[in-house]
Amino acid sequence: MPYIYINIILAFVISLIGTLIYRSHLISSLLCLEGMILSLFTLNALLSLNINFTLSTIVPLILLVFAACEAAVGLALLIIISNTYGLDYVQNLNLLQC
Amino acid sequence: TLTLTSLIILTLPITTTLLQNNKTNCFLYTTKTAVTYAFAISLIPTLLFVQSNQEAYISNWHWMTIYTLKLSLSFKLDFFSLTFMPIALFITWSIMEFSLWYMHSDPHINRFFKYLLLFLITMLILVSANNLLQLFMGWEGVGIMSFLLISWWHGRTDANTAALQAMLYNRIGDMGFIMMMAWFIIHLNSWEFQQIFLTNPKNTTLPLLGLLLASAGKSAQFGLHPWLPSAMEGPTPVSALLHSSTMVMAGVFTLIRFYPLMENNLTIQTLTLCLGAITTLFTAICALTQNDIKKIIALSTSSQLGLMMVTIGINQPHLAFIHMCTHAFFKAMLFLSSGSIIHNLNNEQDIRKMGGLYKTMPITSTAITIGSLALTGMPFLTGFYSKDPIIETANMSYINTWALLITLIAVSMTASYSTRIIFFALLGQPRYPSLTQINENNPYLVNPIKRLILGSIFMGFFISMNTIPHTTPQMTMPPHLKFMALAVTLLGFTVATELNNMTHNLMFKQPSRMHTFSTTLGYYPITTHRILPYLSLTMSQNLATTIMDSIWLEKMIPKNLTTMQKTAASLVSNQKGLMKLYFLSFLLSITLGLLIAL
Repeated sequence: MPYIYINIILAFVISLIGTLIYRSHLISSLLCLEGMILSLFTLNALLSLNINFTLSTIVPLILLVFAACEAAVGLALLIIISNTYGLDYVQNLNLLQC
Repeated sequence: TLTLTSLIILTLPITTTLLQNNKTNCFLYTTKTAVTYAFAISLIPTLLFVQSNQEAYISNWHWMTIYTLKLSLSFKLDFFSLTFMPIALFITWSIMEFSLWYMHSDPHINRFFKYLLLFLITMLILVSANNLLQLFMGWEGVGIMSFLLISWWHGRTDANTAALQAMLYNRIGDMGFIMMMAWFIIHLNSWEFQQIFLTNPKNTTLPLLGLLLASAGKSAQFGLHPWLPSAMEGPTPVSALLHSSTMVMAGVFTLIRFYPLMENNLTIQTLTLCLGAITTLFTAICALTQNDIKKIIALSTSSQLGLMMVTIGINQPHLAFIHMCTHAFFKAMLFLSSGSIIHNLNNEQDIRKMGGLYKTMPITSTAITIGSLALTGMPFLTGFYSKDPIIETANMSYINTWALLITLIAVSMTASYSTRIIFFALLGQPRYPSLTQINENNPYLVNPIKRLILGSIFMGFFISMNTIPHTTPQMTMPPHLKFMALAVTLLGFTVATELNNMTHNLMFKQPSRMHTFSTTLGYYPITTHRILPYLSLTMSQNLATTIMDSIWLEKMIPKNLTTMQKTAASLVSNQKGLMKLYFLSFLLSITLGLLIAL
């Protein structure tokens, strides 16, 4: 496998670990989520260019669209949590259950 | 001759209004003399009618023609209008002379006289109208003048609310009047009385219901009555003219005008009878415990109006008319003498603060005594010639026994509250501050009262001797029924005298429930004046704001969606929100899977 793919997949894996393991702030998880999407985007773009499969050059663009929606939803959740608790500490999330 | 004289009568007061010399002092005297001459001239057609019994109607100026309806200026001079016009003019003459004394210190007295004159003119238009349009013009005219005159001292909020009350209750009655006019023009194509009575339609319940509503509004029957006691906020001449002898008679007068239609419709007669009976009992109960002398007299007017309605209900419109004419005299006199008491006691209207006036104000106390005796139907004074036949005819006719009993109870209460006025205002020791100067020497005060005293004593005799009865009166009846009216009146007198003498020795405890019912006018104004506006305001608020903005735009989709989702999510899920635990377990299982696969 070419070296560059391994590099980008490694970047993806590191971002994934960063999403799943975080200390206190929820926003760091969202940030790593953005990193995952960035690495996926780069992987897709490089793959479709190197294999010369022109029909799949649209895939990174679609990925970008969905990434934008998802980032918006994530930020909305962050704002609701921030409105209720004042901070985005993860310890707060099981305090006041509705 | 009849035509010319009646037209001159109506134009004499009008020319005084049109001259508009308001700034001079002699405007008042010219107005008063104009009304005096109008009274003298109006006696001529009346005496001609008495001699010849010829009715006339004058139709001179053709106003307009709407397709098939011809509207013109027409005057009807029959028994009712020819008898009522001199009486109205006489009373207005006396009241204008009285208000020269009463309103002497008022800076706008010229405007007051102008308003009184306008009221008189519109009342005469109402009385002499031959078609419904002219009657309606007079009707609205007296309504407007009543509004302007009640709120004469318009700096006082109570006066303004009272005038508004008068206007609104009259308006409710006007709706009935307009319905009647609409029915007549649709079905009979005319607004003239002659055509209506000739065609004699068979299904007259709907327009007569409208007429009953209109009279109930104008004459303060039960349900539309609170404006009459509140209208005492106006000056006493206004109360004497409008609310005792003329304006509140307008409703009863119109009902009397339509007697050919009402003879044939028994439903309306029963309705009138019951409405009149309820009114007379209710207002008599309320008059028993009032403390303001003008309110007692106002409620007494209301009670007598109920009695007139009862008379119309037993199909005796002519008796009702005669009672109307005689009632005008003694009620106006009662109001004028109460005005004299009020002014002389330095604007004191509470009867608990008067007393001992029969020595210091002899003419006024004579007037009150004679007026009260005439009101209760003392034999051979004025009220006897009208009230006694009413009670006798009611006793002998096929009517509702309940209505009859109620009317008799109200007649005895009439005696009771009249005794109450005499006892508290005239007898006993003075309860007012002793520095007030009591002075009856002004001829403007004394002459009207003297004239009205003469009228109260003799007019009943004159009117009943000079008119030809249209229906045969009851000639024979058992003696206990014949004396019924006199007996209940005497009962009322004695009971009231006993109770009033007992009040010297009683300690005042908490007023009983019956007492508060009577003093607050039966809780009627308190409940309805708040509930009806509240209902319409909340309905309009609901329609305008709540339905469109609040429900449809805000709550229907957006807010409902959020609450639905939230309750569903919180019901269904049993997660505990331990995010880091979930993420770590995810990572662990992924790494284990990768390690095992590789």
